This record gives sequence, structure tokens and C-alpha cells, in this order.
Amino acid sequence: MSKISRRDLLQYIGAGGIGVVGGVLYGESVQQNVELLIPQVVPPEDYSPGVATWYNTVCNQCPAGCGISVRIREGKAKKIEGNPVHPVSQGRTCARGQAGLNALYNPDRIRTPLQNVGQRGSGNFEEISWDEALTTVGSRIGRLKIDNEASRVRLLCGRVRGHLDELFLQFMNLLGSDHYQQYDFTYPSALMAANKMSFGTDVLPYYDIRNAVFLLSFGADYLGTWISPVHHSLAYGHLRQGREGRRGKTIQIEPRMSLSGAAADEWIAARPGTEGLLALGIAHALVSEGHYHGSDRDEWSKALQAYSPSLVSAETEVSEDKILRLAREFGTSTASLAIAGGATAAGTNAVASIVAVNALNYLAGNLSQPGGIIFNPDPAFSATAGSRQAGFQGMLDLIGAMKAGDVDVLLVHDTNPVFALPDNVGFRQAMQNVPLIIALSSFRDETTEMADLILPTSTYLESWGDDVPDPGVGFPVASISQPVVATLYDTLPVGDIVLSLARQIGGELPIHMRWGTMEEFIKERWREEYDQRGSEGEEQEFEAFWQAALEAGVWGQPGAVAGDQPVPLSSSMIASIADPVSRFAGDESDYPFVLHPYLTATFFDGRGANLPWLQEMPDPMTSVVYGSWVELNPVTADELGIREGDVLDVESPAGSVRVPALIFPAIRPGVVAIPVGQGHAAYGRYARDRGVNPIHIVATLIDDQSGDLAWAATRVKLKLTGERLQIIKTDGVTRTLGRQILGPENDHA
Amino acid sequence: MSTFVEKLRQYRKPGYYDKFDYHWTMTIDLDRCTGCEACMVACQAENNLPIVGEKRFAENREIKWIRIERYWEGEYPDVKMRFIPMLCQHCDDAPCETACPVFATYHNQDGLNTQIYNRCIGTRTCAVYCPYEVRYFNWFTYTWDEPLEQQLNPDVTVREKGVMEKCTFCIQRIRIAKDNAKDDDRRRVRDGEVVPACVQSCPTEALVFGNSNDPEAKVSKMMKNPRGYKVLEELNTTPSIVYLTKVHS
Repeated sequence: MSKISRRDLLQYIGAGGIGVVGGVLYGESVQQNVELLIPQVVPPEDYSPGVATWYNTVCNQCPAGCGISVRIREGKAKKIEGNPVHPVSQGRTCARGQAGLNALYNPDRIRTPLQNVGQRGSGNFEEISWDEALTTVGSRIGRLKIDNEASRVRLLCGRVRGHLDELFLQFMNLLGSDHYQQYDFTYPSALMAANKMSFGTDVLPYYDIRNAVFLLSFGADYLGTWISPVHHSLAYGHLRQGREGRRGKTIQIEPRMSLSGAAADEWIAARPGTEGLLALGIAHALVSEGHYHGSDRDEWSKALQAYSPSLVSAETEVSEDKILRLAREFGTSTASLAIAGGATAAGTNAVASIVAVNALNYLAGNLSQPGGIIFNPDPAFSATAGSRQAGFQGMLDLIGAMKAGDVDVLLVHDTNPVFALPDNVGFRQAMQNVPLIIALSSFRDETTEMADLILPTSTYLESWGDDVPDPGVGFPVASISQPVVATLYDTLPVGDIVLSLARQIGGELPIHMRWGTMEEFIKERWREEYDQRGSEGEEQEFEAFWQAALEAGVWGQPGAVAGDQPVPLSSSMIASIADPVSRFAGDESDYPFVLHPYLTATFFDGRGANLPWLQEMPDPMTSVVYGSWVELNPVTADELGIREGDVLDVESPAGSVRVPALIFPAIRPGVVAIPVGQGHAAYGRYARDRGVNPIHIVATLIDDQSGDLAWAATRVKLKLTGERLQIIKTDGVTRTLGRQILGPENDHA
Repeated sequence: MSTFVEKLRQYRKPGYYDKFDYHWTMTIDLDRCTGCEACMVACQAENNLPIVGEKRFAENREIKWIRIERYWEGEYPDVKMRFIPMLCQHCDDAPCETACPVFATYHNQDGLNTQIYNRCIGTRTCAVYCPYEVRYFNWFTYTWDEPLEQQLNPDVTVREKGVMEKCTFCIQRIRIAKDNAKDDDRRRVRDGEVVPACVQSCPTEALVFGNSNDPEAKVSKMMKNPRGYKVLEELNTTPSIVYLTKVHS
């Protein structure tokens, strides 16, 4: 890296990997020569037997956008590690990131284009050629375009950022359809909406956990699933032991202990749905005890009048002492930070709750401060990808349009709404009204199974692309995704499929989308970015920059600090405070338990369920593998006479699932929890017909302000079925029994 | 036989390993560990651990060289979950080594407790003797669904039925680092040059690995932390892993 001269403005974060694109060249040549006895008399470029090459690219197992390095030996991917120069992952990876290799070498990948020949959804597919597939799609869409009916074409994809998002947008615009949407179950819509109200801008800021001293988390499992778990874990390590003589403290407020709850110094199970109220109670105490010194102190105390600790204590069932103590610690610590996510951001009061948490941050004076909330400068590019998020309302609209027969062609890529929406919204049924469904997918998940035509995509380890991590890390960052191995099967990167379709449809599409491949497109866009940013200073050829960027896998401007920091107006913050108490679907007398579905560190929202390493990775909190379970407090279980392994019918007003019980000591009585991720009806041999999907029985209540699905606001009842099922788990004795395993003076069993 | 016993005695003398260049040691800071299990999957990827399947898992036939043990403390609402990563402790006085009738497990001069797969006859005595229960037996020859086998690490043997296996501190990485040091005319590998897969992946940097014979190594400094302890120390196994206990506030 040091050999490359650079401009002041364009700098890398450090030295990167060794190889660039040789893996592709190598892979192509070895495929033809594999039978020869001495196949490598003239070895392919960048190849020596027994020597590993590392390529940097971007992880795609969750939306955090971690940089990864992939170890290649003899043209095969062997190991994924974090890219040490990437500011998000800093050389680290989570379990899901490591398991990306299981996606690449998954036995259930789609290997050729497929056409449905049976009834829709029956899984009766026949292989066809790419020519045939692209012609079918191209002529169908082309016909609609000629007839000026292109708005009957819809594109739905997962959370796509970077220039692939631009490519999709351009494709749909040229086609004449403004129906390009994204759907990701884990997209923090409520958090965005709340930030819009509190700070006047609907962006994800950077939560500086690393430099915080007192972290108050309302339901956000920041170490397992929330926004950027690897980055947060790095920050957590530093918060605990990274500062000499100063150990940060964390508090977790949630009805069921998550990984972050286990790590916290104190875990508080407030009554479900009242977490935001608790935040206001703390805010009240903070102001009334004199820990807030702003000039608008009186206005705040007036706004918070109704939330005195004694009243809040009665509602939340958290003792008044505790509220006062939390307020004191939050108000007096040098760097306090409050975050909200998980179930707190998934009630009918989601936005109101997060606004309350934002108010806490304001009162602690941590905005734009180290250890507080830091607003990112504008991203390097792709600033508007988030605006394509359909959200729950957008999906309902799509379902409505499909039912009304307004959709002729539905293109689906990298999203699985049949799995990730409640059953009773009827996405699957509505798909029956669409004449042509085309899935651009690597795996036959539930949504792909409904397609008429499957265009197989290469995995992210075989594709070109780029990414802008969201949220940023406080300065502009962009990552490059490059193929680390040759494409295994007759598949194409999704960008290349879009470009091929554009050529197939013809008209002005191929004129504007003139790139032959995604690689060409990405490179041209990066050249434009480069030209825009680096007009002064030392001259550096773009090619050298590009090679260096590929090696590092990431480009960033660490010196550039956030420009205009939003200065939230106290008055508008005060005005946005609303009574945050969640409603629940189902009457308490009929449905006595609150259902707490939670994303898991193993499968995230279910997308990891087809990876065998993750199926065999014990759930971090319960050690269960291969299956689903419903968690019950030991006292509740005792009262109902339920033992571990008793199969229960968990019935909500919207449906029911049959799942074995697990006695879990860290869940509030009156709450039952089911992990999200299992319960696939398709998605390959490792995922199919295993466990249950709690999203399917979630009632369709929505958040009052953002309109997003309130997936933590459903009540259920339990019924013993009399059946029993062995829950497979690795735990044996779960108490230390005085063996001092956790340290000589640390055994409180 | 007498020479062997003499060797064994000398080998048991405290400080014996200081004579050699390396004594590989790990520290695990439980105040940083969040129990996320990234280390487990990293180990599975690096060391060709089998995918045993649901049925075998139900029979407790799983193989995980590193695992996270969970311990509950207290009762609701004052309940706490404590995690501790458990892997081969590479004991200097390892009970497993004295147990093996064919010397398939022995101590190498780097302070590693190593397992020679093709010498192992599968008596499983070592697993019985190990107080940490970190030895895993191959009850079956496992296979990978094609093409998952393409991921297998060529630096690590794929084990077969009838063989005991366990954590090696990623000895293949140690070998590569030593080779590189030799190529560069260095006598020792640098601190931080050897990073086992679990240590490499750890998102909270709870795991630190290095040569404790080098007083400047990060691991040597970590070992001096007053929070340090060894698990089941009273058994006099002299583990090479130092845990730093969690802080209670």
C-alpha cells in the first residue's frame, strides 16, 4: 500500500489483502484442466499450490456491512475472517459471517435457471437455458413497456445499498415503473421515524458505545442482532476493559434476557410495552433531581410532569428506587448513552418509546459528544437506498395491488416476504393473482418457490458490488465487494442479470445501461466518485487507486468529520413526547401471555437457517440446536404443570403454532418467547420442516406513528397437547455447584 | 522404560518449558466475553469439524473443540447468565497424557498438548481422565454434503471413526508462523504472529494468545492481571489457559 501515492483527500484505512481478481482467472482455467496429470505446467496467474491468497470483500449475512477477508487455497474459499482495515468489523466476524462459506458451497443452491412446470408453489421446476429464461422475461416486460403498461412491473428486493440499488432504480425508471421497493423485516423503520421527530433527520446516527461509560439499552440486543453487532461487540469490549481503571456499566431493559441482557450489569424486566414510559420516568427524575442544567429546564419538567417515578413505577412494575437510581447514574456519568430496539421498537408505541429514549440522550447532553450519539456525514454515495424500504404499509399496498390484479410481473430478489410477514396478511395468496413471478435468488426459499421462473444469482462471494455501511462510522466509508472464487454453477451476479434483461428488453434501456457487466458499472461509478472528490493535490492514476481499493476492500476518509450536525430544537423534542404505552392484540382474559418473538444471533431473521454450521451452533442463551422452542418462566411453568419438552399449542388471535416448551430462568412471568428463524417450509435440506415461525402468528397491529408492524404486541394462550418432544441442547448442569469455574471469588451459585 | 519415567519426571518439573522458545498460552477475559459463539464457528471452519446432523446431536455426539458453557446464577428477577469458553487447557500436567496406552497424546516442547491421530486406537481413556471434558471422540466417519467438502482446510487432517480429537491451539497456524520466521532468519515468531481461529474472530477481543515465555508478549501482561485464575486449579493440572474473572459492579 505504501507504494501507492495518494492525494490528501483519498486515503485508505491501512494495508489490505494481497490478491485482487486472480481468483476468477484461476478458477476458469482450472475447470478445464482438471483431468490432466500435470495440470499446471504453466500455472494460472496468482496461484501457487499450498499458498493461501486473501481477498477482501463485504459480508452479506446481515445488513451491517462488515468488511471480510476470504482465504483462498487452490481456487477454493477456505475461511472467512474480518477485514482488519475495515472500520466496521476491524478484523472481527460474528458466527453468521463465518458461516457465509456454507452459503457459497451449499448443496441446495440453485444451479441453473428453472421454470415452474407444475402448479404454482408445488416446487415442480424444470431446468431451462439462460437464453430461454432471459428471452421469456425480456419479451414479457418489453411487451408491457411498448403497451405503456410498465407500471404493472414491480421489483421487490431485500436491503440493497450501493450501486446495485442505483442499477435497480435506473432499470425501473427506464422501464417506466416507479414500483421498486425493498423489504427487510429487520429494517429499523420505527427508529428512523423517531429520529426524524427528535432530531429532524431520518438517518441512523452512530451510537458511540465504545466511549460510553453508562449504557442504557431499552430492548436493543446490540451484541447479538441490533444494527451492527460486530462493531458493537468491539465497542463493548472497550467499554468494559479498554480503559485503564474505568469500567463502563451497561443496563438492559427487556422482558426476556438477550445476549446483551446477559452481558449487562443489571437486567430489568419491565412490564412489556412500557419501556418507553420507563424512559420518561427516568427523564422526569433526571430533571427533577437537578441533573439537567439546560435553560429550558422548566419546560422539560412541565412536559414530563405526568411521568413521575411513582406513577411510572406502578405502570412499569419497576421500583421507584430503581428509577431514581438509574436517573442519578444516567445523569451524572460522564458519558451516558441510551439506545432502543428489539421489542421496545416493535410495539404499537414504537416511535413514541424511541422518542422518549432520544429525549434521555438529549437531557444527558450526549448529542455529538464522544460516548453519545454522533451524526454521520453524508454517505460516500447511495444516500437514498433507505427510502426504498416498503415497510409494513408498503407491503400491504403491494398485496392490495396484487389482489386487485394490478401487477403483471413481480421480480423478487433477496427477500422472503412469505416467511417474514404474518400469515394473515396473505402475501402468498396474493401472489396467485400475479401472472408472472420471477425470482432472482440463490436458494429456493418460500418466496422463490412461488416463482414461475427462477433466475439463479451468484452468491455475494462470487459477485461484484459495493456497499455503504449504514450507519456509517462517523466518517465516509465505502466498501467494494469482489468475487473471491469463480462462479460455481451456471449462475449470474444479480447486477449482470439486470444488465442482461436491459439488453433483452431493448429500447433506450441498453443505451443508458450500456455496461457489459456489473464489474464495468461499479468501476465506472467509482471512477466518477474518484474524479469528483480528488480534483486537487498529488496526482494519482485512477487505475492505481482502483487496484489499491480492491486490495483494501474499503475506502474511507477518516479525517473528514461530520459536517452540519443537526441541532435538535428542545421545543420540538418536547412536543414530540407522547404517552408510550403499547396496546396488545388479544384480550388478557382469553390470551394471558404476551408473545415475545426475538431475532436470534444464530439465524437473524431466518436467512441463516439453511447454513449447517449455524444449525449446529447452540443458541447462545439456551444451547438448543436444530429446532424451535417456547420459553417460559419456571414459576409460570410450575403453575401450569409444564415441563421441558411438553409440546404446547401457542395460540394467538391470528393463528397458532405447535412447539415444545423450554423452562428459561430469565423471562418475565406472563411473557413467552419464541425465537425467529426456524419454521421454513422450503429453503433447502438444513432449514426445511424444522421448528416454527412466530412471525406467522403475529397479529397485524401497527405502530401508531410509523405504520410499521408491531410484531411484539400480540397476546397468546398456551394449551398442553399431551405430546412430548426432545429439545436437543448441549447444556448439562447449568449451575456451577461451587466448583468455582467462573473464578475463585465469583461463585454465587 | 526407566528412561521414559525419568523423562516424564523431568518433564513435570515446574519451569521445564522455560528452557524452550515457546510456551503457548491463552488468556480469556470473561468481562469481555459475551457468549456470542463466533469462536465456535471459526473453529469449526478452521479445523474441519464435522457437521454431525440432528440425530447425532441428540445422542451427544457433537464435536466442538471450543464451546461456550453457560451457568445461571440466582433466580428471577435477580438472575444472571454467565458464559465461559471451554477448550483444551493444554495442561502442563495433563491427566490425559498419562492415560494414553499408546502415547497418542503427548506434550510437545512448545507446551502444547497434542494428539497424534494415526497413533490413536480409540480407547477413549484420555476423555475419561480429562476434567474439562474437552476431548471428543469420532464415533462415526462423517461426510460432507457435496460441495461443502470444498471448504475443508487443506492444512488440517480430516479425522475418521475411532479417533479422539481436541483443540490444537491451531497448530497449523503455529507451524506456518514458525516457517515464516525461519524464512526471514528470525529465531522466534513475533508476538501476535500466531493467532488461532477463535482468537482471531472474537468480536470483543476477549481472547489473547501468545508465548508466555516472552515477558513482553501481550499474553504475559494479561496473565499478571489480578483477576486471573485457572479453572479447576486444585486438581494440579497446571492449565495453559488463564481466565480473567468477570467484574461485578
